[in-house]
Amino acid sequence: MEQLVQELKEHLIEELNLEEITPEDIDAAAPLFGDGLGLDSIDALEIILILEKYYGVKLANSAEAKPVFYSVNSLAEYIMQNRK
Amino acid sequence: MRCYIDSVVTAQDVATDIKLLIPDAGLRRRMSRVIKSAVTTAVECVGGTEGIDALDAIITATGWGCLADSEKFLRNMIVEHEQLLNPTPFIQSTFNTVGGQIALLRHNHCYNVTYVNRSHSFEDALLDAMMRIADGESCNVLVGAFDEQTPSQHRIMERMGAFRTVADGEGAVFARLTAQRSEQSVAQVTAIDFLCQSLTVEQCRERYATRADATVVYNGYAKYGLFPTSAAYTFAEAVRLVQQGESEVVVYNEYFGAAPAVFRVQCIG
Amino acid sequence: MGIVVTGVGIVSALGVGVERNLERICRGESGISATPTLLRTANRLPVGEIAVTNEQLHSMLSIPQSEHLSRTALLGILAVREAMAGADIDYTRRVGLVSSTSVGGMDLTEHFFESFIEDDSRGRLRDVRMHDCAASTDAIARHCGINGYRTTISTACSSAANAIIAGAKLLKHNIVDYVVVGGSDALSAFTLNGFKSLMILDGEPCRPFDSSRAGLNLGEGAGYLVLQREEEACSYYCHLSGYSNRNDAHHQTASSAEGNGAYQAMAQALQMAGVEPQSVDYINAHGTGTGNNDASESAAFIRLFGDNVPPFSSTKAFTGHTLAAAGGIEAVLSVLSIVRGCRYPNLNFTTPIAEYGLHPVTAFEQAKIDSVLTNSFGFGGNCSSLLFTR
Repeated sequence: MEQLVQELKEHLIEELNLEEITPEDIDAAAPLFGDGLGLDSIDALEIILILEKYYGVKLANSAEAKPVFYSVNSLAEYIMQNRK
Repeated sequence: MRCYIDSVVTAQDVATDIKLLIPDAGLRRRMSRVIKSAVTTAVECVGGTEGIDALDAIITATGWGCLADSEKFLRNMIVEHEQLLNPTPFIQSTFNTVGGQIALLRHNHCYNVTYVNRSHSFEDALLDAMMRIADGESCNVLVGAFDEQTPSQHRIMERMGAFRTVADGEGAVFARLTAQRSEQSVAQVTAIDFLCQSLTVEQCRERYATRADATVVYNGYAKYGLFPTSAAYTFAEAVRLVQQGESEVVVYNEYFGAAPAVFRVQCIG
Repeated sequence: MGIVVTGVGIVSALGVGVERNLERICRGESGISATPTLLRTANRLPVGEIAVTNEQLHSMLSIPQSEHLSRTALLGILAVREAMAGADIDYTRRVGLVSSTSVGGMDLTEHFFESFIEDDSRGRLRDVRMHDCAASTDAIARHCGINGYRTTISTACSSAANAIIAGAKLLKHNIVDYVVVGGSDALSAFTLNGFKSLMILDGEPCRPFDSSRAGLNLGEGAGYLVLQREEEACSYYCHLSGYSNRNDAHHQTASSAEGNGAYQAMAQALQMAGVEPQSVDYINAHGTGTGNNDASESAAFIRLFGDNVPPFSSTKAFTGHTLAAAGGIEAVLSVLSIVRGCRYPNLNFTTPIAEYGLHPVTAFEQAKIDSVLTNSFGFGGNCSSLLFTR
């Protein structure tokens, strides 16, 4: 799990082009959207791609997906539960 | 038609740190090279982001648009067989991205349009600005042009034989135009025209110069390289010449067989 | 000075020409097909595709195949010729063109790139010659006898509305005597995949303003008008009496929940024309069928019109969202709404969006129409509205 969280942080930094942010700067429990990392709806689409591309996990961009997108931890948990 | 020029900035003039010019990291991190270059030039031109608040029209011009983003999406689409494509380059590839991002920096709701008309894009934007000012629809207008070079674009144009006489180029130029003369005014634009036929230097002078000592900049775009909005650099050059003491500069550009366009920049007073 | 419309032309998934388009709308027949048949793509998504190949378009227009024009240019020429044939144009005077496109020659560039990325000395150069937006404008001018000032505008999905606004200004400033205005966009794998990557394409026919709406269907086509100064026109269809271009300035792709840009654009267009909100007889909405657009546009309607939102509909379930052409096609339909006295149905609507409770027009209606507002919104926050009056 810890390794997955670290890996996810690196993918987020790379794919979302987060400037001057290191994995250590990201609090895995903090919200990704709004006040946290300040991500938006376009980032949500990019995160869906990260899940599918790197972990083969499919997620629709729907209201039910909202809790999954909450933090790096919630993303990691979802991947653990759903990856093949 | 007449309007005053308060400032003209080229991408090469930008000295301020990008983080001050585009403070929103969320906007900045998605921007390609040309978008960063054009938006920073625009913000420097209006004297910092707060300067955007006073604008009542944002008019951009580009011949090629955001080529690198367009190409990135196109390449991914072909290589990945239309599967799992990142949306960001598609979103950023639209021609009005720069104009939209300038408005977004300060949530400015004003008139916002983008001309994409090859070598006339900048002059078309300038004409629109002058018409808006003449009609009293706007009194503080940002007009600018941008184009970027990419390795693919260079290779394609090389194969077309484009660089036999002129080198490749790219750039961004933004100008702030006003209806009223102020202490900040450095020059004025007093004419713009689109022609069907070529003119010689003498014919330009005869037709467009109002003073005996007018300078004619004839096809000056060539020194800035081969890109559709290089004429915007001749606009910056004309303003600089006026600031250096010239009373009037007539600029004539006939970009590789396109119909010529002419504008006249004069000193104030 | 009054600006009047003296010619109209359309090509869309409904067919070629104004009459064919109206006939099918009147019968409630959509032009959306289950999947593309001509477009080269692996995506099986509904689209508003025009069932005519580029080769057939060249023949229909009597343009030699060797000219190898982009589909955007070919569709544009078809609609512009119809618009100009209907207007009584004196070709000794200055005829201008303000055309818009967002796709440009991308259909040809896609072919080129497949070879080019394997080996950069490959790919036929004639396939990238028309890549830029102005190439289609030049081709239209060349093949339609347009001799005056011409320019090209690209502001995503609001492009054609902005071209119409620009044309009106050229007439007011006496830069042209006639101006052909509108937009053209062909379907391309680039845009289809682009909108797919944004996850806003519906796998079913789109349902604008319906609570179950799940995205848009892309379409292709062209719509152009001929505009003139009122005092110089012997006869005309109607006036272009108000217009406005505003920016939502909320997000690069999403519209604000309050519909700020949309509200300001509609309010300013009405104000310019001196028309009170309650006298608008019909609104041809932007209504793409995405969750975000239709909610934002509904919010703007309620802000401007209160409890008396005029009869409105989106015609995108007939044509698909034709991007830069949409504002042109819908402006033509708005003009015809006044001339023919009709409102168009909003197909596939059953249940209003709970928060707004707005019901669009769902059947073809005959009525006396004196004023029509039409909206075109796009990425980059661009929001433009046009008001046509009798």
